Amino acid sequence: MIDDHHEELAALYAFDLLEGVELTAFEASRRADPALRRLVDELRAASTTLAHTAPEQTPPPALKARLMAHIGQSSTSDKVIPFRGAPLLAWSAAASFAISALWLGQLYTTARTENSLLIQQQALAEVSVQSAKNQLEADRILLEHQLQDAEVRLANLNQELKEQNDLARFKITTLSSMLGNSPEATAVAIWNPQKQEGVISVAKLPALAANEDYQLWVVDPQYSVPVDGGVFRVDPDSGEAKFKFKTAKPIDQVAAFAVSLERKGGVPQAEGPMVLLGK
Amino acid sequence: MNQVGEDVSAQSEQNAQDARLMADMARGDRQALADLYDRFSKPLFATSVRILNDANEAADIVQDVFIALWEKSARFDLSRGTAFSWAVTLTRNRSIDRIRMRRRRRELLDQAVPEDLGYARAENGAESADRMEASESATAVRRAVAGLPKEQQKALELAFFGGLTQQEIATQLSQPLGTIKARIRRGLLKLRDTVAPRV
Repeated sequence: MIDDHHEELAALYAFDLLEGVELTAFEASRRADPALRRLVDELRAASTTLAHTAPEQTPPPALKARLMAHIGQSSTSDKVIPFRGAPLLAWSAAASFAISALWLGQLYTTARTENSLLIQQQALAEVSVQSAKNQLEADRILLEHQLQDAEVRLANLNQELKEQNDLARFKITTLSSMLGNSPEATAVAIWNPQKQEGVISVAKLPALAANEDYQLWVVDPQYSVPVDGGVFRVDPDSGEAKFKFKTAKPIDQVAAFAVSLERKGGVPQAEGPMVLLGK
Repeated sequence: MNQVGEDVSAQSEQNAQDARLMADMARGDRQALADLYDRFSKPLFATSVRILNDANEAADIVQDVFIALWEKSARFDLSRGTAFSWAVTLTRNRSIDRIRMRRRRRELLDQAVPEDLGYARAENGAESADRMEASESATAVRRAVAGLPKEQQKALELAFFGGLTQQEIATQLSQPLGTIKARIRRGLLKLRDTVAPRV
């Protein structure tokens, strides 16, 4: 017994009006229920009779001729014609089938072999491609390292060049003794104008008393008096010393270096005797 | 035998003749195709024109349908439905596919006035039926449809020729969806009971 709901669904189904989930569910019910299948068939047949209710229309007279011409072009071999031949023909057909099967089998084997070869060729090609990729990658890494090395070398060269340029600008002066009792006292002063700093190395200067210091002076024409370069002491035994210094004022041009003997801690302007001088 | 009984009997005989023609076509008999064309082409063409509202496109559809019947005739099985039902289903589906493809649904709806249905003339009795010059089965169907309530006629007509969804039919007829479903069900069941051949 089919209920009203399924009758309604069957009617809608006959008109192709069911969609989505409703359609899926109904088709499942239809497959499971022979009575419902029969009802659908009946309703679908009934629905097609509505074709008779369309306002009458006569097809164009040429349509039939066109159709028959089209069919005439088709080979009769296209048709499925029931076989009613003699038994001999049946055996012939069977033999033909067997030959065809053998031929198709051979074709199949050949095709499989060709397919296998193609697969192997494809695998080899893939290996070659991968190998080329690896080589390219190795080359790329090597070039990258070479480039990094070249950059380091270039940086070093630049640094060397810079240092050479700086060295060319350095002021290097030898200072001579101005003391009668210590004529062997000497010093070398180097001034880096860019960094505004220098270093002085002295030798064989007399030992200092406890309340004394040696004081370095830098002579720059732009100033009326020498510029203070700081105080230093020497080793009492060797009379040697080496110290870095910075001036109290900016130095534009070094005309001379001088070392004087001053009281402990130094003085703003030279007061004591000059012990070393160099231009 | 009453009128309904005579109609059903005539229809069964026509179905049997159609089935024989299909069998002949399956054996390559072109004359059988020509005969089937003479029997089916008018209602199929009318159906397609009714759906597409375009005689040229309808002619293309009908030609395609007969070619399909010719090529697939060996598969025809009367126990699964009549040849006419098969042909109508092919025609309707292809025509609806065509209008959906053209997206001319709205235009066609606008043209779907009740006077186009052909039912009103059938309602007027023998005089209208004579004018229709239809086959016996067509006359029987029209008589059966004309006997349906007007609202069921409209629902069936839009369901068959409209290429619409359920909801679009409801909208077109300004009725709730449930009402439309019920009208289609009752109308189609009555039509089956009156004219449809037993399969």
